[in-house]
Amino acid sequence: MEEKKQHKTALPEKEPIPSAQAPEALLDIRGLRVEYHTDEDVVYAVNGLDLTIGKGESLGLVGETGAGKTTTALSVLRLIADPPGKIMGGEIWFEGEDMLQAKPARLREIRGSKISVIFQDPMTSLNPVYSVGDQIAEVIHQHEKCSKEEGRRKAGDMLEMVGIPRARYDEYPHQFSGGMKQRVVIAMSIACSPELILADEPTTALDVTIQAQVLELMNELKEKLRTSLLLITHDLGVVAQVCDRVAIMYAGEIVESGTIAEVFDHPHHPYTIGLFGSIPSLDETAEKLKPIQGQMPDPTELPEGCAFAPRCPYATEACRTHKPEMTGVGGTQMVRCLAHQGVFESPELMEEVRHGR
Amino acid sequence: MYRFILKRLLMLIPVLLGVSFIVYTILSFTPGDPVQMMLGDNYSEEAYNALQAELGLDDPFLVQYGRFIVNAVQGDFGTSYSTGNPVAAEIAARLPNTILLSACAMLFAILIGIPLGVISATHQYSAVDNISMVGALFGVSMPNFWLGLMLIVIFAAGLGWFPSSNFETWGALVLPAITLSANSLAMITRMTRSSMLETIRQDYIRTARAKGLKESVITIRHALRNAMIPIVTTVGLQFGFSLGGAVLVETVFSWPGIGRLLVDRIGLKDTPVVVACVLVLATMFTIINLCIDILYAFLDPRIRAQYKTAKR
Repeated sequence: MEEKKQHKTALPEKEPIPSAQAPEALLDIRGLRVEYHTDEDVVYAVNGLDLTIGKGESLGLVGETGAGKTTTALSVLRLIADPPGKIMGGEIWFEGEDMLQAKPARLREIRGSKISVIFQDPMTSLNPVYSVGDQIAEVIHQHEKCSKEEGRRKAGDMLEMVGIPRARYDEYPHQFSGGMKQRVVIAMSIACSPELILADEPTTALDVTIQAQVLELMNELKEKLRTSLLLITHDLGVVAQVCDRVAIMYAGEIVESGTIAEVFDHPHHPYTIGLFGSIPSLDETAEKLKPIQGQMPDPTELPEGCAFAPRCPYATEACRTHKPEMTGVGGTQMVRCLAHQGVFESPELMEEVRHGR
Repeated sequence: MYRFILKRLLMLIPVLLGVSFIVYTILSFTPGDPVQMMLGDNYSEEAYNALQAELGLDDPFLVQYGRFIVNAVQGDFGTSYSTGNPVAAEIAARLPNTILLSACAMLFAILIGIPLGVISATHQYSAVDNISMVGALFGVSMPNFWLGLMLIVIFAAGLGWFPSSNFETWGALVLPAITLSANSLAMITRMTRSSMLETIRQDYIRTARAKGLKESVITIRHALRNAMIPIVTTVGLQFGFSLGGAVLVETVFSWPGIGRLLVDRIGLKDTPVVVACVLVLATMFTIINLCIDILYAFLDPRIRAQYKTAKR
């Protein structure tokens, strides 16, 4: 963090936006915009989002409820319910193909086989009327030519891989606990050895002990299968346990990204700093939690300048009128903040950044 | 499972006892004297008393009812007051016609109603959806005797496509079956649509889509299967109602079924036939409902588990 910003006005000569930086990108989302149209108004859920995931890399996408995390993930496989959702612009490149241009048949080939999803709530994401084994076998049969017995055997293997005895193949979802169901969902998602798994808050619906087990399982599988992972969560602890890189999302945009070490040691964006600040520490006694003041902006009426400006303790007049760009701040770390872009100086913020966590 | 079926079949006994008692009571309190009707206008007091004694109608009401039950349990439903034929034979001659009519009507309603409901749900607010929902509204609100008359006027009397009251050909089945099915068709379409609308928004449908399955597979295998419980319930109830609805439709089309037999004999105070008809209809209604409950178990493993554990 030595080469801090000396310039104050110039925006250029910074590193370009991250999409161009990773040549080995498996997934490359550029300028994604997604809106939800209701009768009264338009919800701007994702606003020009850029994101890359390399081969074998796992990226944590962190943000509070309503930041557009799930919408982003669902957009990759075009699973957004339309209506009301609509992908308004951008590109989603996966293995040299723009998913947003892919034909439905091609999309079906990719869904479940090259990219799979783990949904948030295991209680409702399994079909209650089919046995868990058959539900796993279904995705295998969809994408691989194999006999009934072979599919059954493979689905059984998958169950064993996630720690469920093969003997429970013919049992139904209601006979499983929440953690076990999530294991089944995970087994389903790895059944066709996908290149990329989109995990949408895979542990949020589970209690803490089960959460730890599931995370451990995901870590294990990630190492074993060398699959890339997009892990969506609002829990920074989960990210630290599982991911290589992290991207912080706010009001439909990435506001900061970098490796775990970079972002966790020296968060640069005031929002990220606030997020870390709100985590209670075991070392000190605290009367109250330290939340970030204010609320996320109404997604139907986003502010003109920086979306975080209304809550930002360092915000200036410029922040309310100018949209910040993603700016490199050393290493792979990128921040979307006018102060780091050099538009204005904020010694307090810089002090906070230097101090780190 | 077998325990469950046995238990439900045993429950038929109190149901049938209750139904027969109610019908028997109502008939004995309604005006009209079967003996008088059988004898016509000119008869002597002795003849009247003799016939009354022969039929057992001079006994107290409860004794009459008790005798009916004791005989019925042994399979003897007595003889008709108005024709003198055995009641069992009269019903046996009519029942197949009613079952044929109801079954055809229900088959028609299911084969049209479920696909229409599914399409309406997957294409919500489309032209198909709007038309079928308006149609369903008509189907629900039209009295079936009126619809029957209209169909006769248009297709039998006017166009001459179908006979209105000749039962020798299969064509004769068309108009009564359509008439009888109108209400069920409407109900099944509406129920399928609303049940499907609920299931296609479930998370597991999104999971199915994320697996890369075809939309048709998702709709039928994942959504419809889960939407079936309320649909099957509706089908069962409508089947039961269609047996009752057959009374009107059979009268309009002069269809020689059990419903028309029932209406005719109520007018003649032919108690044995009326009670037997009602018992047959009640039994069929109950058995249809039992079949529906068994079907639930096939459709939903969670209900299957309940049946297994509910052994008492």
